[in-house]
Amino acid sequence: MDVTLEKKLQGFQLVAQEKLQAILCSIPGKKELILEPELIKPLEHVCTASWLKLKGIQRIYKHDAKQRLPHAADQVHIYMIRSLLGTYQTLLRQLQPLAIQTTSESPDLELRAFHIICVPSCYAYFHALLEQAGLCGVVQLHHYNWDFIYLDQGVLSLELPNLYECLYLQSNSSALPSIAQSLRLLQMICGPPSVTLTFGNHSAQLVQLLQALGTVPQSPNPPDFGAWLIIDRDKDYVSTLLTPAIYAGLLLEVFQLSAGEIIVDNANNKIRSQKLQLLQGKTEYAPNQAKPSCLRLNSACDEIYGDNRYKHFAQASSLVRAQVKTLGLELQKLNDMKLEEMHDYVARKLPKLTELKAKVLRHLNASEIVIQMLGNFRRLQTLEEDILNNVSRKRLLTGIDELLTTDGQRYNTLRLLCLLHLCVGVTPDELQSFARNYCNMFGHRELCVFQQLAQAGLLPVLLPERKTSAKLLSNLPLPKFQQTEFQANANRLKLLTSFADAEQPAASGSASGHPAIKSCPSFVFNGMYIPLAAQLCSMLLNANSGEQLATKLAMIDGLHVHVGAQVNTLKAYAANLKMASIESADVFPLRLRNLFVFVVGGANYAEIAACDFVAKLTGAQITVASDTLLAGSDLIAAAFNH
Amino acid sequence: MESQFDNTDENYWNRSSRAAFSFDDEDDVDLGDVGARTSTGQASQSSKWDNNAIFNDDTISEASFDNSAALGTLNHLSIKAILSDEALKLVLQEQAVDDHVMPKGVTPEEELKLLRRQIQSTLYSPNLELTAQKLLHGKVAPLEMFKSLLEKRQLLDAVLANGGDAIIGVLLFLKRTLNATQFHGILQQRPKALEHYLSYLRQSGDVSSYIDMLQRFGRHQEAALRQFQAAMACNELATRKQQLQRLIDAYASAGVGIIPLYEQVFHSALKLQLVREKDALGDLSQRLGDEPTPIELLYVCCSQNKNWKEQDMLKISSPQRFAADQEISPAQYEWTALNERAQAQAYADLECIFERVSGWHPLKSKQFHISFDLTLAVQRLFELKAPATVLQLFLSKMSNSPEKLVLAQRVKCIKAVIDAMVSLKQQQELQQLKQTLPDRSEEQFYCENALKSLQSKRWTTDNIKLKL
Repeated sequence: MDVTLEKKLQGFQLVAQEKLQAILCSIPGKKELILEPELIKPLEHVCTASWLKLKGIQRIYKHDAKQRLPHAADQVHIYMIRSLLGTYQTLLRQLQPLAIQTTSESPDLELRAFHIICVPSCYAYFHALLEQAGLCGVVQLHHYNWDFIYLDQGVLSLELPNLYECLYLQSNSSALPSIAQSLRLLQMICGPPSVTLTFGNHSAQLVQLLQALGTVPQSPNPPDFGAWLIIDRDKDYVSTLLTPAIYAGLLLEVFQLSAGEIIVDNANNKIRSQKLQLLQGKTEYAPNQAKPSCLRLNSACDEIYGDNRYKHFAQASSLVRAQVKTLGLELQKLNDMKLEEMHDYVARKLPKLTELKAKVLRHLNASEIVIQMLGNFRRLQTLEEDILNNVSRKRLLTGIDELLTTDGQRYNTLRLLCLLHLCVGVTPDELQSFARNYCNMFGHRELCVFQQLAQAGLLPVLLPERKTSAKLLSNLPLPKFQQTEFQANANRLKLLTSFADAEQPAASGSASGHPAIKSCPSFVFNGMYIPLAAQLCSMLLNANSGEQLATKLAMIDGLHVHVGAQVNTLKAYAANLKMASIESADVFPLRLRNLFVFVVGGANYAEIAACDFVAKLTGAQITVASDTLLAGSDLIAAAFNH
Repeated sequence: MESQFDNTDENYWNRSSRAAFSFDDEDDVDLGDVGARTSTGQASQSSKWDNNAIFNDDTISEASFDNSAALGTLNHLSIKAILSDEALKLVLQEQAVDDHVMPKGVTPEEELKLLRRQIQSTLYSPNLELTAQKLLHGKVAPLEMFKSLLEKRQLLDAVLANGGDAIIGVLLFLKRTLNATQFHGILQQRPKALEHYLSYLRQSGDVSSYIDMLQRFGRHQEAALRQFQAAMACNELATRKQQLQRLIDAYASAGVGIIPLYEQVFHSALKLQLVREKDALGDLSQRLGDEPTPIELLYVCCSQNKNWKEQDMLKISSPQRFAADQEISPAQYEWTALNERAQAQAYADLECIFERVSGWHPLKSKQFHISFDLTLAVQRLFELKAPATVLQLFLSKMSNSPEKLVLAQRVKCIKAVIDAMVSLKQQQELQQLKQTLPDRSEEQFYCENALKSLQSKRWTTDNIKLKL
């Protein structure tokens, strides 16, 4: 039987179940599961509560960091937490009293009364900490990695929300092996790709880890992916920092996302909670007006979302509105019907219609809140476009400063400054005066954020001043015409479309053959910018030979090609091809047209939509996976977790 | 673990047993009638959407675990179709924390061999590669046999090459088994290891060791930031003040260079504590969180200020003094005051806020001055339901007439619309506008006057004055 790629990707769930079952069934006794609340949503994608019951779990509790669940002698408590040191330590502290109470310890690992399942991996030093807490022999630790969760067609997530912070802000690579393991499982299911392109250190490290983990047993099916593309988030910050123009992207800007579901809540959404309450202006929104509802961002169970997810927001919201109208008319027909007709209608059509109507109304509600929250969207977009194209630098800074004063948003205002730094470069002095105003607005304690963001390369590093005479010299305003790294790469890869348009219409690499195609992947940002992932995908798909690709990408630092166990820069790869004769055949053009994209540190919907567009244009299929899905404000918020 | 759980438990399990197994996708579990299964599936799916209350329920219910749509598609897929038995076995094996467990059904001889090899590798000769590999796979690996400094260093370098959680694991082992000098020496040479160790200290919440390490490795600015953060985290105002004072003194005298921003913020934070200590800021501060920001406190100061004409600069809670102390920018000061006064409906005070006496010529009358876009001010005032006269006051300061007209129309300030039309010389539009205005209203008179003045195009002295 042939299994389609979509089915295989959904099949990750089965593997996740197998893995969880293996742990749960190895533990005998009256089992109770205590879950960290944030794990519930993703776990719903793995199994149901009834499934858990079938595996012998008698009760399920939410873990409370403040107090421990009372434990009866015959019960087995299974805790399930994220592998975060803080959470783990809190749990150990809760369990601490047990160390003294326990008089007889069981020699068998599985017979212990307490188990901690760490998601995605139980770190090596957790064992040492367990021993220090005196809980060795009382508590047993387990790894559990649910691997890729299939959120939507073409969208996979590992649901590891703190990865960006660990990897990019603290340079802590602890979570990488578990990601490599998930990629390894992907190889087992979908076969190895003929080529892997990595961009950035973490990506290269992932491939190295993947190889270190050992060879993979053959998949029962033929391989699915022609190429993997793994990129570091910091190689394309801009696609996260820009405000997307597409429906799914904007939903994420406003609403909290967890495991593919957003909570549509007007009173307490992402934008509102970023502002100072006192300066919000209109305060009399009715808090109880509508209960928060859920929207699942999955096209299979919500056709309205499926139709609109990657459309321009204006188009999507007007489509939703039109649909509400037609449905209203449809329901009005009821009034004109005869009795028999009505019977038939009520019995057959009405339930479906009402269900559809409920769905459409949820979308209508969501898009209305988005419009209300974004306020003057056009102004923001002009500002972003000017930042991208570096139009009158001084005005940009004052513009951002004015936004901070009059519509200060904790993350989004900072996000604009980061964008400005990437595209134009912010000097330490400029940062200083912004930071002063920012701390006034949001409190002095946020001072550390600037150091954190500098660590990630999103803001300049502040250097200490030494009180010397050299200070005078540095005060002189010397004009600098340096190109930032982003600008250099963006120009080489032709990512900036609104700027290049004047010179050559339809500048996108993929669309150049078809002058009739009026849009290019940059539509996700209103025609300003093509996400790096999408551009690389289209280059991979359109490359006719390794050499051709190498000439296009030769100037880009940090790109590596992995074929088999060999790692090369693109140039070296092309050169090798020339040297070696026929035996090492060129992998380009790709024989399998499916691509797998993995973003280390959080993908966003603009990227996903742009990749989807490229896929449609080239007749390929692109699956985008990441550790989590982020909006720009989430990325900035990561720097606030002190 | 709320107590309500106990009460709802019975309900919960009754509920779940009724709906149980509806989406189990394992083929080997016999679930009886397939048709019944799918029908319950649909039912619970729709009930999930209709019954939002379940989502808000604090307990974990059957419904919140219902993922029918995602699971439903998998009904026909078996794990064997996507993963070979061998691969599945490998995956499950790799998940285990410990691989000491002896495989079942092994002959005594083989068992002896296995055990001997294990003892050898754990007690006598440390096997670097094997240990690194084990750590990479997430297995428990004893490190105690790495005794010599060379072996320890090699072990660390081996795990550093791969990256991952093993780095911190090995570092903690090194810290335990080496003295501080050796340990720090090793970190000094390996920046990547240092980053991991710092990250560990930070996440573990061990602030003092974290700061200590930062200072030891020459990262004084970061250390100062962390000290600042620690001081700000103190709940008691007195200790916080003390710690801030100590930090400021140490930072200035450490001789490691000063980042002006840090110094400024440290000082303002301390000053803010003093204000909070001295002045009980009344009812409004109750509404703020525990940690009001300078702007929020400024808002409170504004709400308590009685005299806007001449602010008492000696009183530290008078808005202008507070803004000066906290180095709040003019724009922020004006915006906060604007919002507060408009909320309090004290529109008369607005003029004082936006007044500047030009310093070089004290006799000259006071001038209107605003530090941000006038449009924003007008819009916010409109949102806060300021009366038309106030809006007109602000609109009258706008020099760009077309923009003024658009804005005035948006905020429905008729008089300003008329003003803008006059300056744009739109006689016809004025006529039309006049028709729509209610008879004998103030606006109609205003409109008529405006029309008259437009029609008399003589060079009057008034006109000349206006030009000047």
